[in-house]
Amino acid sequence: MSEEIKSQPEKISEDAKELVLARLEVTSSEKDFSIGGGESFTRDELIQHVKAGDETGRKIIEIELAFLRALKDGTLLEEILGGDGR
Amino acid sequence: MGKTLLITRPEHDQGTLYLSKWSEKIINEASNKGVRVIDLHRQKAERKRFLGTLKKSNPSLVVLNGHGDENTVTGHDMQVILTEIDGSIVSGKIIFARACRSAKTLGPNLVTRGTSVYLGYREDFWFKYNTKDVFRPLEDKTAALFLEPSNYLAIALLKGHSAGEANRKSRELYKKNIERILVEGPLSEDYDARVILFWNMTNQVCIGREDATF
Repeated sequence: MSEEIKSQPEKISEDAKELVLARLEVTSSEKDFSIGGGESFTRDELIQHVKAGDETGRKIIEIELAFLRALKDGTLLEEILGGDGR
Repeated sequence: MGKTLLITRPEHDQGTLYLSKWSEKIINEASNKGVRVIDLHRQKAERKRFLGTLKKSNPSLVVLNGHGDENTVTGHDMQVILTEIDGSIVSGKIIFARACRSAKTLGPNLVTRGTSVYLGYREDFWFKYNTKDVFRPLEDKTAALFLEPSNYLAIALLKGHSAGEANRKSRELYKKNIERILVEGPLSEDYDARVILFWNMTNQVCIGREDATF
């Protein structure tokens, strides 16, 4: 997925949005999200931000994609199993 | 004179309330270690008092909770309390900022101007909390997944570990939580937390003297 992101940002952006929406829809509505000890969002508010494609929506997509990239390139496993922690 | 910890705990919304409550664990650890704690809580977490306390009490460890961006960290009611121009006042200090993005530009700039070490986040620091536990944040197991590892940065410093070791130990706790969630699988109540934990962990950095100790 990461190569496609580089070559077709617009298209993948839609794919990423759908992926994140699917993930958010199955999360508990009893859990809220806080950014930097400040703004808080309910699950449904975050879903609206992702659908709107605004800054908050893009942030949560970025977080999800960072995880998926780490999963794909092995960084996640490296981090979990070892690494120097820097 | 003994060691002094200066901590800011704004409490103007749900997020800062959680950070403030969880910071009580840092304060307790410091008190148990005989460290003098200056607690700028709620309205006291404002710029004038913060800078005045830094000058007067010369704490060697500064823990900041609140909002942040690339160039600032804020206190109560979003008032900016730390910026790049404060370089000389925080020279020689260990700073841990639990705030968004301040380790991107502010941290490196302060280190260039003499701050011993700056621990913080290059990107936004996210956490989740259970709305059923908002009146007892310290019992919130979802928030604990995020706030225990970040708390441990300060706690490890108080235990005498170097800044670099404190960062590594904190990251180990993030890893443990991610691993636990991955083992529990998609049926885990906090399965989506693994993504945010990984984000916080990889963006938590130690800039400056890794061998600095409190």
